Formats: sequence, C-alpha cells, structure tokens
Amino acid sequence: MDELQKSTIDSRLESILFQVEKPGRYVGGEHNQVRKPWDSVETHVALVFPDIYDLGQPNLGLAILYDILNQQPEVLAERAFAPWVDMEAQLRENALPLFSLESKTPLNKFDIFGFTLPYEQIYTNVLNILDLAGIPLLASERGAEHPLVIAGGQACYNPEPMTNFIDAFAIGEGEELILDITRAYQDWKRCGGAREELLKALARIPGVYVPSFYEVAYHEDGTISHVFPWMQGCAIPVRKRIVAKLPQPITRFLVPNVETVHDRISVEIMRGCTRGCRFCHAGMVNRPVREREPEEILQAMQAGLDATGYEQVGLLSLSSSDHTRILELIRSVYEKFKDTRVQVNLPSLRIASFSVDLMDELKDLRPGGGFTLAPEAATERMRAIINKPLDEEIILETARTIFEHGWLSLKLYFMIGLPQETMEDVQAILDLARKIKGIGKSMKGNRVRIHLGIATFIPKPHTPFQWYSIEDAQSLQAKIDLLKDGTRKSDIKMTYNPPDSTLLESWLSRGDRRLGPVILQAWKNGAKLDAWTERFDLAAWLSAFETCGVDPDFYTRRQRGLDEILPWDHISTGVSKRFLLTDLRLSLAGKTREDCRENCFNCGILDAYGSLKPSKEEVYWGCP
Amino acid sequence: MTNAQPIRVRVRFAKDGDLRFTGHLDLQRLFERALRRSGLPLRYSQGFNPKVRLNLASALPLGFSSEAELLDFWLDEALETAEIQQRLSAALPADIQIRQVEFVPNQLPSLQSSLRTSEYRVSFKPAVETRVIKEKLSQLLLQDNIPFTRRAKTVDLRQLLLSAYWRETSAGDELILEMKSTPEASGRPDELLNLLGLEPGTYQVCRTALIFSTDKVEIDG
Repeated sequence: MDELQKSTIDSRLESILFQVEKPGRYVGGEHNQVRKPWDSVETHVALVFPDIYDLGQPNLGLAILYDILNQQPEVLAERAFAPWVDMEAQLRENALPLFSLESKTPLNKFDIFGFTLPYEQIYTNVLNILDLAGIPLLASERGAEHPLVIAGGQACYNPEPMTNFIDAFAIGEGEELILDITRAYQDWKRCGGAREELLKALARIPGVYVPSFYEVAYHEDGTISHVFPWMQGCAIPVRKRIVAKLPQPITRFLVPNVETVHDRISVEIMRGCTRGCRFCHAGMVNRPVREREPEEILQAMQAGLDATGYEQVGLLSLSSSDHTRILELIRSVYEKFKDTRVQVNLPSLRIASFSVDLMDELKDLRPGGGFTLAPEAATERMRAIINKPLDEEIILETARTIFEHGWLSLKLYFMIGLPQETMEDVQAILDLARKIKGIGKSMKGNRVRIHLGIATFIPKPHTPFQWYSIEDAQSLQAKIDLLKDGTRKSDIKMTYNPPDSTLLESWLSRGDRRLGPVILQAWKNGAKLDAWTERFDLAAWLSAFETCGVDPDFYTRRQRGLDEILPWDHISTGVSKRFLLTDLRLSLAGKTREDCRENCFNCGILDAYGSLKPSKEEVYWGCP
Repeated sequence: MTNAQPIRVRVRFAKDGDLRFTGHLDLQRLFERALRRSGLPLRYSQGFNPKVRLNLASALPLGFSSEAELLDFWLDEALETAEIQQRLSAALPADIQIRQVEFVPNQLPSLQSSLRTSEYRVSFKPAVETRVIKEKLSQLLLQDNIPFTRRAKTVDLRQLLLSAYWRETSAGDELILEMKSTPEASGRPDELLNLLGLEPGTYQVCRTALIFSTDKVEIDG
C-alpha cells in the first residue's frame, strides 16, 4: 500500500467514487480550502475528524486548527474523515489507503495525525481510520517511520480509555498548544532522534499528556492505587491549557459542495459558563468565562458571510444570555444586518423573559421554527440538586412570553436518571409540559406544539456528580415508559435515547486504561460508527468486555468512593476536586450556588490561571 | 428598485473534476453562495423566505461532467456581461468554468420547461472492449421496447433514446447519445450502459449539448 503511485490512487478512486453514496464527501475542493504544494512545507498535519464528513466538516474546533496551522508557512494541514461503510468496503477491496481530501495523499505520508475527539462514541472510528491508513493501532508498536498520533477535544479530559492508541493528548484549548506541538515536532525532526525523544519533548509542553510515561496501578478491588509519571519532566497533574483572550474568530470557513449538518458560519461569542450546573461537563471544564467584544463579533460575522456566501450565522456559547453585553450585541447585529437576508441563530438561552426579548430584538433576522428551553428538571427540589435554581413561575412566565411573542412551537429539554430522582420528579416533567401546553392552547389555540427532548443523565468526569453511578436500565426504562405514555395521551411529541444507547458513552467517558483492549476488541467485533443509532451494536461491545475479562458495570453501576483515585484525577481542568466535593455535599443538602460572576466560590480556576488574567479593559473574564 | 424589471442572465458553464460528485440540489446551493460571494446585485424571490432567484436547466446525474449546462438568474440592475462573467468566475470553484454570459428576455419560458433533448458523449476505460459493446447496442436497438426498472417503476429506454452513434477518436471509440430530457420523461445514459453490461466507473459521461424547444433552427450552407 505504501508504494502506491499517486496516479494509481487517482484512477482507482475515480472508479470507486461511482460505487458509493454521496461521493462528494470524499473529494474536498470546497471554496476556501487551502492547498499547499506538498514539498513546499516542512511539516504535514492530517486533521482527522473520526466521523463522516457531513458531521465533522461543520465542527468549529477543526476549522480553527485548520486555519491556525495553514497560516504557518512551514506547515500544511489537510483534512480527513471517517468513510461511511460503503466507502470503507471499496477502499479495502481496492487496497486503497485512506487519504486526505485536499491532495488525496495517503494518510500514512503525513507527519502528524491530529484527531478531534469531541465525544466518546467515535473511539472505534479512530482505530478504523488508523487501520485504513496502514498505521499500527497501538502507540507502542509505532516507530520513527510512522506519523505522530495526537488527539484533543472535549472527550480528552478523560483520555484514559484511548491511551493505548494515542501517542500524546493535547489537554484543553488548542489554539496555542497545537503550535507548541508542531514546533516541538519540527525541532525533533531536524535533529533526527528516536521516537522517545519526541515524546519526551512533547511531555515537557504544558497541557500535553504522554500516557506511556505514566504508570497506573490498581488495588485488588479494581480501583486505582496510584498514577505516577516514571519519565522525568512529566507533569502531574497535567493541567489543561487555556488562552487568556480568545483569538480573533476565524472567517475563512470552508463551504462544502455537499450538504452537511450545519450549513452556516459560527462565531463563538463567549467561552465557559459561570452557572455551575452540577451535571454539566462543558460548564466545568471550559472555565473561566471569556467574552468577545461585540465589535469583534460583528466584524467576524460580516467577514465570514462575505467569505462564504452563507446567509446563516450561529452565535455560539454555553449560555448566550449571560454575555455581559448581549443586548447591545444583538441590537447592533440587527442594525448591521437588518437590510440583508441574513439569519442569526442564538442558541443556549437561559430561561427568562429576557431571553425572549433578546430573540425579539433580532426581529426578522431570527430563523423560523420553535423556541427551545432547557429546564433539565421539573421540580424545584431536583433543580436545587443539579444547581439550576428556577421558580416554576419563571418557567411558566417565560413560556407565556414565548407564546405571546408569536411562537407556536416550544421544545423543552429534560434529563432523567439524575441523582436522587424519584418517579414523582419524572411525573412532574409531564405535569409541567402539560401546564405549558395548556398555557399555549389558551393563548394560541390548537396550533401550539410542545416537544419534549429527554436525555439520560450520565455522571461525567470533572463534575460534582462524577462519583455517582448510572441508573439501571430497567428503572430508566420505567421512567421513559411513563413519559411516553403520558405524552401520547396529551398529544406532546417526545424524543429520547433508549437506555442501551447511552451505555457506550457511559463506559467510555468514565473508563480507565483497562478499556483500551475492550475498544480494540469491540472494533475487531465490527463496532464502528457507534454514534449512529442504526449502526450501534451493543452485542459487539458486550462480547468485547467478556473477551477481555472486564466488567462493564464496574464503570457505570458503581458509586465511586469519595477517597478513590478516579481515572482522570491526573488531568486537571483547573477546577479542584475539593470544590467538586463541596459542591456534591451541597447538592446532597439541596443547596444551590448561583452564578459565580458576582460571588467567587473558589473553584480553583483563579489559583491555576489567575496569573494569566488580563485587565478588565483588555478582555472580560467571568471571574470577579 | 425591486419593482423595476429584473434582468435575466443566462450562463452557459462546464462542470468537471471533483465537482462531478456534487449533485443537483447541492449545485443549486453552490450557485446561490457563489452568486452572493460575487457581490452582484441579485434579484431575490418574493415571500417570507426570499431566496436568490436562480434556475438550472436540468439535473446532471452524479458523476457526469458537462460542457453545456445552463443557468438563469436575475439581477436588479444591468452590468456588462464581461463583468458578470469575471465576478462570477472569481467566486466559483475551478471545476466550474463559465463559457458564456448573455441577457435573455424575461418572457422566455423557463429552462426546465423548454428543455427537450440532452446530448451525451460516452468514453470508455481502456479495459472496455467497445467492439462487444457496439454489438450489444445494435442488438438492443432492434427491440421495440427496452424496459428498465427505475425506482420501482418501469420505463422504456427505447422511447427515451433518440439517437445513438459511434465516433472514432485517437483516444478510442466514443458513443454519442441523444436522449429525451423533458420534465415528464428523461433518459439517462447510465441506465442504457447498465443494460449493456457496463459498471459505473468503467466509462465517463459528458453532457455535450442541451436542446430547447425555443432554440432557433440554424440552417447553414
């Protein structure tokens, strides 16, 4: 496979593209794609999103890294995605390696593989891609002739399940880190040392975790007895990297020639969240809050729209209503774009009439469709437990305002399986949805549509709920049945995840190194594209656990000891374990800690990153 | 401004390379975005959700290239055709090449409704024995009906095929097909080639002409 000529690849590719569905996924050539002559640069990076193009191409993280790397004169970055099953079969049948979209270069010719891992259900795709690229799956089997395989993204705050396959993890925000990594690679390459020298150099970069330099030992009961770095110069814990100020937003978005899940540009208006919802992984790991100035956001919107020809912008953040200058921003967005046909998405709005006012300020820039609210829990008791305090009256009032302002369709997100949740709390979801439907009906009649989105709670690492177990499938099913039955009777639409499908995310997000062999075996059993409901094969996973002699329940059905060393304890998000523990205790007592912007609860972020904090004039940080 | 008569612009373009794998709806979106990037004074459709007003003559099957696609779009104000061509070309991917830009009267019927016939040129991979294909095709053409199942419906390719002839070139034999292309019935060369036992990927199809009911018949000496 190594010696295939480019012309042979091109001609074989030419004929297989006729045999697959949506071949436009595999050819690149988008407007704003960057092409550099292969020999004109020193370092070749393959940015790999391990799911299909349609899902991966709109990913903002991937776009940011692509932009940053290609701005370096001595680096080129090209993209690759997981092939769909039909394309994979064709590649294997025709002995073709997986290739990059830009130059159709076989992936094993690249110097660095950078995997984006935003969620866990794509781990088997990583293995499949390495295999299709002809690269040894196990990091321990790779030599100097193989690419360096790195990974980053939100799932990497617990990298342990993937440590067998990844040479080095980039923990935290990648904007600066990716350049530190490529520079270290270039220095090593110029000197021509052994692969271990490269890994040692990488391990010295703050935010880089080289798992092979750390040893993990276990107690007899299977819990971790210790984790320590045996190689000199390795940090413990490995602390995530952050950027003190969000760099200028990217604007040269690639414009796909085939449809993807989001055909629009995205501008991140704020990173982090000060709300402290106890179930929320994103809210804990992305601290501190850093805002972008409205002027910068407006400029980026204009430049991005001009560069792409898109007419839709998503203004992204974890809690848009919390941006300190959100009203001013939305008003100026309206002023700037009112005579255009631009549509502006403003997701992640807090439950408050103010959020409805914000959407109103957008006037005709607002896309059609419904309004979305996420109370997450339906009783005040539950909302205190999860630290999302809200009076029911505020929820109802917000719903009233929504209908009053002309929306007829309302989507409500709730979770089931939360700590200390009872059937009464689940029944309350139905009651609340019916109440809201009643309000809508009394105001707007039968055209009102209510849609319940039910997610299953998974206790995520680095959150105050990380010690909890997952509710058993049977009792989750009973809760789902109650909701299904109730919504059908009340003509409310409901979508939910079957308990089985959340198991994989639970194992992988909460797992340790012993899951490496399980992932490998599951892939050998045929598991891949696991994030696709129709492809997910629970049996392949259960049999892999059995083959490897690993008990899946150990990761999901076991309340973890408060003094236990958790598999991800040696990765630090800046939020201290002490803070998480205090917050857990407050939750058990039904006590809340509201927005930390005014009143710092000492989560640890300022201890870890306070020295980076710029002046208020320079950039707004949420920390007081 | 929007009340003034819109200017109808007709663009003839070629499409090849990787963009062969961009289908009809995606191509429409691609043109919408390229037109917006071009900064031309576009006319939008009326209504709640205004869209760039544009009109492609005919869906080109996935994987085919073309030398003769047609697109109509509308402007709010007239510009030189050369400027339109230059601005639009700059905004388009290299796999689309504009061949011609002209203004056409607004009252002309739509491209789709007046399209009658498409002409295709089929070239074959070296491994294909065109001698065998020629024979098979002659046999097939003797039949009064050529049934073919298309999405659970049977169509008669014989009715859709207007002419077929071979042309010898230095690169091998090429098959020239003329097929019906109306909103009601449209012939696809790949279906015919399938009946001749050819797998996709063993041949290449290029659309070479679109023929309309409104075309003037040119009689030259």
